[in-house]
Amino acid sequence: MDPREAVDRSCRGPVLFLAFSAVAWLLVYSLFALLAGVKVHASGMMADSAWLAYGRIQPASQLALQFGFLVQLGLAVSAWILSHRGKTVLVDGGYLIFGGMLWNAGVTLGFLGILAGNASGLEGLQMPGKVLPLLFFGFVLVGLSLVQTNNRRTNEEMSPAQWFLFAATLWLPWVLGGSYLLIHFFHAKGVVANIVDWWFIQNFARVYLTFVGLGTLFHFLSALSGRQLVGRSHAQLAFWLLLIFGSVGGVSPGAPVPAWLPALSTVTAVFYFFGVIAAWVSLTRTISGASAADDADSLAYNLMRLAALVFISISVVNVFFAFPGPGSTAEFTTYGPAMELLFNLGFVGLILIAALYHIFPRLAGMDFSPRMTGIQTVAIVFGLFGATLPTALGGLMSGDAVLGSGFYFASLGDVFLFVGSLILFLNFLGAILFAMKNCDCLAGFCGKANTKEANA
Amino acid sequence: MTIGLSFLLGLLASSVSYFMLGLWWPVAVVVGLFAWLAFGLLDVKMDSTFTLLGGLLLVFCVSLSGMVFRASDQLSGLQYIDTQSEDGIEFRYPVPLLGNARYGEAIYKANGCAECHTQQVTHEGVVLDVKALAGEKNHAAVQEAISRFRNVTGRDASSGAGFPIGEWETVVNGANAADASKARNFLAAAGASVDVQVRFRGEDLTQHDLLNPRGRGWGKRRSVAQDYLFAEPPMLGSVRIGPDLANVGARHSRDVLMRILLNPKTVRKNSKMPQHRFLFEKADEDDQGQHIINGGYVPEGVKLPPDVGMVDIKIIKVLVAEDDLIEKGKPIVSVKLEETQMDIPSPFEGIIKELKVSSGDTVKAGDLVLIMDVAERYKPTKDAEALVDYLLSLKSANYPLPEAPINQPYTSSMPKPAPAPAEAAAATKADEAGK
Repeated sequence: MDPREAVDRSCRGPVLFLAFSAVAWLLVYSLFALLAGVKVHASGMMADSAWLAYGRIQPASQLALQFGFLVQLGLAVSAWILSHRGKTVLVDGGYLIFGGMLWNAGVTLGFLGILAGNASGLEGLQMPGKVLPLLFFGFVLVGLSLVQTNNRRTNEEMSPAQWFLFAATLWLPWVLGGSYLLIHFFHAKGVVANIVDWWFIQNFARVYLTFVGLGTLFHFLSALSGRQLVGRSHAQLAFWLLLIFGSVGGVSPGAPVPAWLPALSTVTAVFYFFGVIAAWVSLTRTISGASAADDADSLAYNLMRLAALVFISISVVNVFFAFPGPGSTAEFTTYGPAMELLFNLGFVGLILIAALYHIFPRLAGMDFSPRMTGIQTVAIVFGLFGATLPTALGGLMSGDAVLGSGFYFASLGDVFLFVGSLILFLNFLGAILFAMKNCDCLAGFCGKANTKEANA
Repeated sequence: MTIGLSFLLGLLASSVSYFMLGLWWPVAVVVGLFAWLAFGLLDVKMDSTFTLLGGLLLVFCVSLSGMVFRASDQLSGLQYIDTQSEDGIEFRYPVPLLGNARYGEAIYKANGCAECHTQQVTHEGVVLDVKALAGEKNHAAVQEAISRFRNVTGRDASSGAGFPIGEWETVVNGANAADASKARNFLAAAGASVDVQVRFRGEDLTQHDLLNPRGRGWGKRRSVAQDYLFAEPPMLGSVRIGPDLANVGARHSRDVLMRILLNPKTVRKNSKMPQHRFLFEKADEDDQGQHIINGGYVPEGVKLPPDVGMVDIKIIKVLVAEDDLIEKGKPIVSVKLEETQMDIPSPFEGIIKELKVSSGDTVKAGDLVLIMDVAERYKPTKDAEALVDYLLSLKSANYPLPEAPINQPYTSSMPKPAPAPAEAAAATKADEAGK
């Protein structure tokens, strides 16, 4: 049997399970984001239901997006890349499934907890504190499988994609566990709780999500264009710069905390940008003038290039607004959350969806419907820009009327996003059902090799 | 390891020793150079899990201790502090939330009010004003101090329009607090006989009026860590889709807050805030009193009662006009019914929106007579009462703190040279005039 096929066979069950849960959470996110937007226009709508108050569905939808969609799809894609890069079968796929179930249970409880009014009141960790251990252990189980897979790689040298994904897999449980202990166990008092919260937000976005996105980019841009990665030393520089300076900061200029915290945040944001440049140099030198080696991958390849472009644009704008002057203009406006959403969806989300387009047919033995894929991709791309750019601009202009019209456009974007994620969900579900019915590619679900073929 | 990466680690080492350990800067530079050399000589490869794990752990520890633990150490000493309220009553600040207000904080948290509202009044730099206390000779001293300030900080500072005695004049605008204190020291060193006042400035602090259209007037001083000593947790918020609430208790009354929660559009027409009807319940007909809140108007059709009979009814006279506010039970039309005249009372209290009949018309039982806007009457649940109690307790920006004063002149510590008798008399006079 082709070794690649053996690797795919070992990934099949766990990766598809995580990816499917992720796509389902994306649908939940887009539905609730749409609802939240509608509540801003029609203030009397659903006003009798406490569960559907704006202040509850907004953080709940963020939880669905970040912990439900991004983290799970990131884990699915990491598992696939780490086993493929290491040319080894996925170790303990059962851990991955069990851990994924725990993680899903945690996200579901957190989601319902926020809707029921048990939010923690801290921006980055809105889910009730009791849910965090569940999430932690779920992630650790998945991480165990990934770390073991990486350790059993056949080639000793690790590629940049492997550094980034390996580091991300270790980093999230550390910051999640650390924040849990500090906030809910040691009961950080006063603004210290907020500082822990900002620390978590910064690490989650600037280290964890960025590393997942960049790791996936480093793997796929070279794999899909059929070129060797150029600039390994640049990637190394990027890795450490992003890690060191991404792990500290994220305090806004006017925050009621000691003044060195905002100042430190400005400093780290500037150094972080050098890391972004290093990664960018390595990536662009790798793919300059290249196109996808295989026509079937051209959609995934182009989406990834778009995501890379979004990444560098966001980074340039972010470093500008990290300085106190421009920073205090943008502070407290809808610019901040809009850019965060653009980062989540337009960079990490888009890369992971593109990776899914490449991985899915290899695992399910069955491609997505091409027409539906086209529609969902267009809808998601339109949706994510439509939902973020108007509120970002409106926030910067910060006049009431501009902000109002920004919200209207954003709702249009939310509609697109909802349609896109609905089609993606149906597409995924349909392809899986079809594959299960018509061929025995999925006979070896849950990583059990088909004994007949293995013997042959 | 490459030169670039080891340089980076050296840079990290020097910034850690300078910013976090507080070493003298030449020492920090030496530490950085040493680290650069040390890392550059060690041929560390990225290919072992162990190297990665070690590096990650190191960075994690630096990040956690540098950002969280250091801040926590610094803030752990925060205690009660003495302050005084507007009417001069001294008390210890901050005051822990008790009873209903504490419960209201939980309601605020549960319903995610912080998604749209911040609780932090910010400032953008400080303004330094001086008030000259003496004449000509003093003027030169002030000029000297200002030019020194310009040379040292590179900041623009106004030398003013000659510093008339007894009038506040802005010297430095938009500096940070450290620069302002430098300017103050220069003034003292030059022997200027002035009063100095440091004010925080910013849109949050400026009252909204014709001269300051961007002023928001959200508090008299900026928020500091002290304000959140008893918040569980401080819900600082990061987006202001609605106004800042750090000082909302000083701005609004209970009634207005209730109306905003129930239906914000009854208070501000273009408000984007969603209604929070789930915090209220419909008031009964016979429920009267102050706690009843008008939740806005809904159009209701008023029909002729169906039991007046099957015959044609003639409208004799319409007793109300459009836009009239009428009470419940007040006659709205006179009708003629089988040779008897009868007044039809209004079933609701509200405003007449549109008349559907006019005098002389013939109608039937159950026909629509008019449309009126009827007030929806609600009463707050205990959650709403608690939430409003909590909001009313938010007045932090009213109380001055040493690190965040409310326009406090630092007169006491400025050395004043003994003025000539004539000058002193003039200064006192001017002072009185200035006040």
